[in-house]
Amino acid sequence: MNTRTITNLLLVGIALSILALLPKLSGFHLPGNQQDYQPAQPIAFSHRLHAGELSVQCLYCHSGAERSRHAGIPSTSVCMNCHRFVTTTFGAVRAEDELAQKEKRDPRRIVSPEIQKIYDAMALDASMNPDRSKSIKPVSWTRIHNLPDFVYFDHRRHVNVGVECQRCHGPVETMERVTQVTDLSMGFCVNCHRDATKNGLNGKTVSASIDCAGCHY
Amino acid sequence: MSKHYWKSLAERDRDPAYVKSLADEFIEVPQLNDGDKSGVSRRSFLRAAGFAAAGGAFASCSPAPLKKAIPYLVQPEEITPGRAYWYASACGACTAGCGILTKNRDGRPIKLEGNPSHPLSKGGLCAVGQAAVLELYDSQRLKNPVSGGKESSWPVVDDAIRGQLERIKGSGGSVRFLTGSTGSLTARQLIAAFTASFADGKHVLYDALSASAILDAHEATHGARVLPRYLFDRADVIVSFDADFLGTWISPVEYTAGYAAKRALPALSHHTQIESCLSLTGSKADKRLRVAPSEIGLVLAHLANRLTEHDGLQALFTSLPPCPIDTADLNQIIDRLLSSRGKSLVVCGLNDVDAQYLINLINHALGNYGATIDVQHPSYQKQGNDKELYALIAQMESGKVDALFIHGVNPVYDLPDGARFAAALKKVGLVISFAERADETASLAHYICPDHHFLESWSDAEPVAGILTITQPAIRPLGATRSLAVCISAWMGFSRSDYELLRDAWRSSVFPRQTRETSYDAFWDKTVHDGHAAVDAVAVPVQAFRAESTPAVPTAKSANLALVLYPKVGLLDGRHAHNPWLQELPDPISKVTWDNYVNVSPALAQRLAVSDGDVLQVAAESVTIELPAHIQPGQHDSVISIALGYGRKGTDRFAKVGPQWLEGRPTVTDGGLVGKNAAPFRSFDGRSLQDWKPGVTVTKTGRRSELAATQTHHSLSVPERMRAANPEPRPMVQEATLAAYLKNPAAGAVHTEESATLWPGDHKYTGARWGMAIDLSACTGCGACVVGCQAENNVPVVGKDEVRRRREMHWIRIDRYYADRGEGDVDVVFQPMMCQQCGNAPCETVCPVLATVHSSEGLNQQVYNRCVGTRYCANNCPYKVRRFNWFDYPHEDRLQNMVLNPDVTIRSRGIMEKCTFCVQRIQEAKAEAKREGRTVKDGDVQPACAQSCPAKAIVFGNVNDPQSAVSRLKSDPRRYRVLAELNVDPSVGYMRVIRNREEEKE
Repeated sequence: MNTRTITNLLLVGIALSILALLPKLSGFHLPGNQQDYQPAQPIAFSHRLHAGELSVQCLYCHSGAERSRHAGIPSTSVCMNCHRFVTTTFGAVRAEDELAQKEKRDPRRIVSPEIQKIYDAMALDASMNPDRSKSIKPVSWTRIHNLPDFVYFDHRRHVNVGVECQRCHGPVETMERVTQVTDLSMGFCVNCHRDATKNGLNGKTVSASIDCAGCHY
Repeated sequence: MSKHYWKSLAERDRDPAYVKSLADEFIEVPQLNDGDKSGVSRRSFLRAAGFAAAGGAFASCSPAPLKKAIPYLVQPEEITPGRAYWYASACGACTAGCGILTKNRDGRPIKLEGNPSHPLSKGGLCAVGQAAVLELYDSQRLKNPVSGGKESSWPVVDDAIRGQLERIKGSGGSVRFLTGSTGSLTARQLIAAFTASFADGKHVLYDALSASAILDAHEATHGARVLPRYLFDRADVIVSFDADFLGTWISPVEYTAGYAAKRALPALSHHTQIESCLSLTGSKADKRLRVAPSEIGLVLAHLANRLTEHDGLQALFTSLPPCPIDTADLNQIIDRLLSSRGKSLVVCGLNDVDAQYLINLINHALGNYGATIDVQHPSYQKQGNDKELYALIAQMESGKVDALFIHGVNPVYDLPDGARFAAALKKVGLVISFAERADETASLAHYICPDHHFLESWSDAEPVAGILTITQPAIRPLGATRSLAVCISAWMGFSRSDYELLRDAWRSSVFPRQTRETSYDAFWDKTVHDGHAAVDAVAVPVQAFRAESTPAVPTAKSANLALVLYPKVGLLDGRHAHNPWLQELPDPISKVTWDNYVNVSPALAQRLAVSDGDVLQVAAESVTIELPAHIQPGQHDSVISIALGYGRKGTDRFAKVGPQWLEGRPTVTDGGLVGKNAAPFRSFDGRSLQDWKPGVTVTKTGRRSELAATQTHHSLSVPERMRAANPEPRPMVQEATLAAYLKNPAAGAVHTEESATLWPGDHKYTGARWGMAIDLSACTGCGACVVGCQAENNVPVVGKDEVRRRREMHWIRIDRYYADRGEGDVDVVFQPMMCQQCGNAPCETVCPVLATVHSSEGLNQQVYNRCVGTRYCANNCPYKVRRFNWFDYPHEDRLQNMVLNPDVTIRSRGIMEKCTFCVQRIQEAKAEAKREGRTVKDGDVQPACAQSCPAKAIVFGNVNDPQSAVSRLKSDPRRYRVLAELNVDPSVGYMRVIRNREEEKE
């Protein structure tokens, strides 16, 4: 085989590889960039319902955002503040009430399978008391917003000057399942920092640092 | 012309090998002939390389790892993930009982700092205290009780011990409790109750670093066996005989704080140190006299005689051999002492009853009792009784002890006759040790009931009468360990938790000692919050001074060569030998890591034809030891010295510390230990343990062993080829005498031309500009900052071989400079050196990838993920403070990784790193200020080094804030900047050394 043949073979091979990879290239990300990441969660928690329809404040559950670098994922006990009483959708409760009335019996307690997972995690029985025969098991959520390596982000500095959560996290209140909307790259951060320093934030002048050591240390 | 300062004898004498090594990038580590071989063969290297390549290929195919986020089920009210919480506690790393604050992140303690409100330590914490947190995560600590050498469980062990104790009780047998000085009130009460429940029970205390003679001397002169509290903060004149009170003696942090308080200009205390080996304390002295330990008694006798003569009393000694020190020097000391009666302090570190008796006499004659020495509120930091210890050994040997409980001490290791103790142990029917690991003594015990680390346990301490601290747990016990108090309660049949025992003990015996709080709960809560409480001291039956006995006339013992055994700042009596941070901490004076060695004075070395690293055999009577020599300027010419605390069982674990690579050599050779145990050279003279031995012989073995000393690493010296242009040594350290300073506060300044610049400043610094001021007069070189920085910034341990190759990773080093004073004596200056955060930084201009750039607040930022490892910046750094990661330093010990600070990146191979002024703390302070809607106040940001400094020598803050402490120091006439003539505009200012001396400089 002479050199020419080998070169041609190689070229054909490269061309085929590119063709094969092309459809995937639209999803190409730099390492550490998880834009559009939308994993399934152990509990099908709907931000659209809670944050959108029911208008629960972000900070009600993610209370660490004001005080700590991490916004934090609420502990199961926070869920229980409401879900001690709310066991399923309002529609399902009303349908059961109507059915019970028709069948002339007491309405049964209906628990949605997703909410049941909270009770299972905390090992609660039907009357919301700890069930000693079961063991507790914390909910293992899949982390969606991962910053690239070697960077420190502090929620409290942003929340306390009034940066909206949606600025980085997108319209979470419309999402059934949360997805990472922005790419959370350094360019994304620095553009916003430059803009805020130049134009102010919510009408206030701010000085958002673009020092490396602001985030990298 | 300024004084010529040098770091090593080779540098002073311009040793050709040393001069050549300055230009070399890589150090050739000589092949050693003590049997150490490199651990990797060519074949195994190729095998490993193949696997690494294959592994890398596979790893790169896998998708990004799935990250899980698991919240609490029920979040504790006071916990917010990501926030650090601080708990006040007490340090248990030695018997000094300093107050600490434990930094807890996500349920694990990661950093210890001094508690600023603590009345003794006043916010300082020594290197040992800083490093103690690492020992919590030691994977070799016992996790279960041990019975007959095998792991067991508490119910089994308890049953067996209770059964044996019942039998002993029934037969009227004797029980002995042998502990170190325990400041814990609760433990002492429980031990007393426990021993009292037997027909013959007794609690015996001893300290490996004994102060027994001081207590014995006070028993003779004051009628009570107490260790007085020395108040260095009230002493204008200090005369110390061999007492290393700033480094290792009794309570160094407390004494350093007091000493530093009296060294605030323009008033300076006067400090005379009379010692045989150059100690940390001696290096700070205004006047240092070299006297062999055998002659110290004689100097004291002369001093006592002269003082009694002066007071018109009958001389204590009628005839004395001539004084070993100059009459002029002695007169000067006496004049100084007499001119500040009641404001002077004479201390002695020798554990010799006669010497201590004379010290008491001298202090009494000077009226220091009740002024600078407090016997009414004595210290409980050392309570050991050497005589009782030896009485106990004799009893054990005669088979009269039925049960022996050993807590906090390791007599088989640290006694001169450890083998005798080991043999005596065999005659005791029941030996129970509370050691954290099967050490020299514990491995001979029938049962080991491992105690908690002090960060896992409720306990208390009363270091000084009336000052109590509470130790609170910062983490659940990592193993099934149990505190001493709980063990005793279980064996006495009333099983309680250590919290209940502590609370009950305090309710009955501490709460009634105070009147401020009326509710016990309120008192308890306040004490736990503050970490300490001041209560009335239990009255000590101290009598008025009486001098009944006249001590024997000291004679200048004519010993050819004396051996002095001394504790090192990092390792003390050896209890911290398993701590790699402390093993790698350069000794403040010798700068040697990972070893002990024989200190020899330059003159003696010349006489014996010994050079650095020659292995010497030291012999006295039947004891011999072979260790490498270290030539130590300032050492007495007829005294050699060896550090205690080395050669601990189990330190062969450090064979694999640091990177393992083709040419890497293990830190310890096969089966070897770190250093050698010199305790067999100690002796018991019938009254107290002696830490020096006359009449030793030294012979050269002909072998060599390269010490891992950092003293010439990262030298700020002029390269040889540029020396011709300016042969003058650079004035790194500047100093002046007090007399000169009082005339002209800027005395000692070396004229350095700060070049004018044509250009406007590159950086505007509109907000903060961070700066630092370091008082070289206050710095004692103790190394607390080095370990504090290591803990805060995840600085790796590299091992002995890498240190030899100048690759230690400490971000802050303490440069120790010597200057000749004639007659073999030296002046010493310590200069903490870290990144100077230059305004015109030479490192920034040479980085090809902009990995090191200037911040708007004056920091030289090092961006790890941009760094490609060209090392140009380190080469261009005039201060030599940049450290390169030659390897991925091991982080395989999952348990030990728990100590890592999550706020600081772990640097990987090929990355340059350096001091950041603890930028994570700056960012934290700014975030907190923003949260509270204010600006950052002075004092909000404290880098780890400044926080831990017992002498408060380091001040940090915003130079642009005219009210800040650091900007006030900026206009101090003592301030100078190192290498300012290079026009690099460093942000760190140094305060010139001022020595309390009369003579003007030439």
